[in-house]
Amino acid sequence: MKVLVADDSRVMRQIVVRTLRQAGFSAWDVVQAGDGAEALAMAQSEQPDLVLSDWNMPEMNGIDVLRSLRAAGSTVPFGFVTSEGSPQMRELADSEGALFLIAKPFDADTFETALRPHFR
Amino acid sequence: MIDTHETLALSVVPIAQDLFTAMIDGEPGLLTPEPATLPVVDPVHAWVDIVGPAHYRALVVTGRATADRLARALLQMADDEDVSLEDVQDALGEVANVVGGNLKGMLPEGSSLTLPVVDVVGPTATRPADHEQPLLWRGDPLVISLWTPKNGEEL
Repeated sequence: MKVLVADDSRVMRQIVVRTLRQAGFSAWDVVQAGDGAEALAMAQSEQPDLVLSDWNMPEMNGIDVLRSLRAAGSTVPFGFVTSEGSPQMRELADSEGALFLIAKPFDADTFETALRPHFR
Repeated sequence: MIDTHETLALSVVPIAQDLFTAMIDGEPGLLTPEPATLPVVDPVHAWVDIVGPAHYRALVVTGRATADRLARALLQMADDEDVSLEDVQDALGEVANVVGGNLKGMLPEGSSLTLPVVDVVGPTATRPADHEQPLLWRGDPLVISLWTPKNGEEL
């Protein structure tokens, strides 16, 4: 398994990777992107099995990354990890094809609950 | 009728405490509200704006030494490990981002959140904040304040 973690905050990317490990997904390979445009490019070049993306990023926001991937025919599983978890954003994420939206703050249990139904 | 300003103001402490418990301390009780603002030595400011139909600014201020400790805690570094200025800015920006993002989630649809700005100089302010919440984290002062424009004022 390979996961692409996209967030403009290096600190947050490290926390997401650490939390993945704590939630039991320690065997996954991780690649990282520092903005939305890089996330889109790496989602296509790295062929990850999962994209975990922030919503609010420079260059391209997370929902546009997801839309661009789907428009290009990619079906890569995609989840958001974002500070904004309103019902409207959850609905939008769902309607665009995201598997889940994890709102910050989160802990390992949050990741386990969101990811385990999709990844064993 | 719900007073949005008051609801947001009352939410600052629980939002910040949830953040610190889950992602910084790993346990509750280390970030506590204070009745009055204590002086912040060598301050660092981090803020995000909510823009659109609703307009707010969430500003987090703490001392540089405390910001260093925050970054170490977020990154699970040892107390004596060197932490880069970039990581300190990044960490404090994320605190502002999570506070602002959670507040935005309580507002009507249609607004957006700016990327965090972190600087030793705070945003220009010609008046006191609409709400100022003094806090203590592990004994060090940290202040979260909220602003909303009044009478066409620019934040």
